[in-house]
Amino acid sequence: MSSPFESYDDLDDADERLGAADPAERRVAIIALGHSGDPAAVAHLAKMVADPDAGVRQQVAMALGEFDGPSAAGALVQLLVDPERIVASAAADSLAEFKDPESADAILPLVKHAHAFVRMGALRALKELRRKDTLKPALEALQDPDAAVRVQAIGVIGFLKLEESIPALTALIGDPDAHVRRAAVSALAFSHMKIAAETITRALKDTDWMVREMAAETLGLNVNGAVAADPLIACLADEFWQVRLKAIRSLGRMKVAHAVRPIGHCITHEQANLRKEAAAALGEIAAPDGEPFLVLVADDLDPDVRKNARWALHQIAASTARAGS
Amino acid sequence: MPLATYQTSVPVVVDDAKCIADKGCTVCVDVCPLDVLRISDMTGKAFMAYDECWYCMPCEADCPTGAVTVNIPYLLR
Repeated sequence: MSSPFESYDDLDDADERLGAADPAERRVAIIALGHSGDPAAVAHLAKMVADPDAGVRQQVAMALGEFDGPSAAGALVQLLVDPERIVASAAADSLAEFKDPESADAILPLVKHAHAFVRMGALRALKELRRKDTLKPALEALQDPDAAVRVQAIGVIGFLKLEESIPALTALIGDPDAHVRRAAVSALAFSHMKIAAETITRALKDTDWMVREMAAETLGLNVNGAVAADPLIACLADEFWQVRLKAIRSLGRMKVAHAVRPIGHCITHEQANLRKEAAAALGEIAAPDGEPFLVLVADDLDPDVRKNARWALHQIAASTARAGS
Repeated sequence: MPLATYQTSVPVVVDDAKCIADKGCTVCVDVCPLDVLRISDMTGKAFMAYDECWYCMPCEADCPTGAVTVNIPYLLR
């Protein structure tokens, strides 16, 4: 297929079009530079960050997302502070794709910007760069008055996976914003410290069901999560089936033998997702007392439930055979 | 594939006022996996040449000016 973009012989050709009077022509040239994948295009794109047309600046922000590194990040931070929200949003999205840790130098100063959106965008961008010197500003940002900024700061800390950040994360369990508490619980998953598992366990009683759901899921991933087996079993009576589902998954992952009966009682729930998860968990635990519950759903209307039930019955049979031999 | 005779009845509708295909843009044509979009020789704008669509959406999502709209049938939403 022929494409007008192919008519650009080199970057200078596209660069010439960047000076066109028509904003649409400038946009097309910017798209071509972005598609070129040539790192030399970054310098040409950087010249366009002050274009009078917001649509053109938005296109520059999107095109710079095709690149990585300090030069492209330097141009994008100028667009992140753009007064037009469409431009700033495009810049934030592009910066979030960056992976080169060197890019952090250009982004870090914006963590203290006056506008919450800019601070949020900067922290979001720093997350995947995983640079150790971003820990301090991220910890400071946990005190930000804007909850969305605090959530992004937790993201930076969570990606760094440093045990020294655990006290700050556990303190967030009392944050007034549920999204912040939920993010903090999620970020504690990696920790080997007992206080992390204890904090996640406390979150199983949070007033917000999404925090409880995240806590139930995170305990299944935490190395010390097994200490919360009984609180997780108590979660099987939660008013939200979503919380019960994650609790069942974690109990199955931990292979908690005394959870078979409480899980088994969830296997006839009206939600097919819950039945499916219960069958899978009973298969993970592979205890013979799970068999009568699995037989109940062997002919379930949902094929995924039937599939998991058959797999679970096979797991129990194999486990019993191993124990007998 | 059936030719799209009436542009108003096809799933992918292009707003000519916003489309910048006449300036050299071919994003929607390039991203379409079914290759059903074309640039009109008469208007210089993009249009749906063949009435076949997977409703995969990149033409709408990637259009730099927001000129493309994909009308997803109610039963597929």
